[in-house]
Amino acid sequence: MDDLTEMLKGTLEGCVLEIIGSEETYGYAITRQLNELGFADVIEGTVYTILLRLERNGLVQVTKRPSGVGPPRKFYALNEAGHEELAKFWAKWQYVSSRINRLKESGR
Amino acid sequence: MTFWETITGSDLTREWKAFEARAEALPDDYRAAWGQVVAHLFPYGDFTGRNLMPILDAGLGLLEMAAVDGQSVQEVLGDDIGGFCTALAGGEGARTYRDRWREQLNRNVAKKLSRLGG
Repeated sequence: MDDLTEMLKGTLEGCVLEIIGSEETYGYAITRQLNELGFADVIEGTVYTILLRLERNGLVQVTKRPSGVGPPRKFYALNEAGHEELAKFWAKWQYVSSRINRLKESGR
Repeated sequence: MTFWETITGSDLTREWKAFEARAEALPDDYRAAWGQVVAHLFPYGDFTGRNLMPILDAGLGLLEMAAVDGQSVQEVLGDDIGGFCTALAGGEGARTYRDRWREQLNRNVAKKLSRLGG
């Protein structure tokens, strides 16, 4: 599906939190996972700026690991504040999606 | 940072040389993208550009990693390099020369107004 970017904007941060929450991972792998999920036009630059924001807001723990080739990779894992933020995201998502679905059904 | 470095910015020149050396090692299309990133980030710089150094380091790090992973520049930065740079610099508290001009203007206007009112 094309042109999802605008709609995804508010939720992409939550998606990235969820991905990091299930296992420690790095930017490129997160982008790939989102692409495979069907969000084809998500680019690494976008994910990277989200990761920087999560880091700045103190929601993730960052570990630098040598990558074999080239510069060291930054791995991200959720800390306690990150898990709390993720729970809040899903609560908000639940609220929004249930209301929108209700709207759609009542319109029929 | 020593006092001498604060005054002359000599450490910045050194850091900048290091960035250039790292950029030299990138593939051609990446080097071109780096040039654009630098150009887009420039307005976010303060007087010496010191606040840009960590931001530039982050951007260059991403390009290096992506080049190693064999991605295309398009896959990494998309069409909107300006948008990427705004996101990269944003929230960093990167105060720009524009912010200072704006403050100065506001201050001057406030001074003038209070003089008129008083």
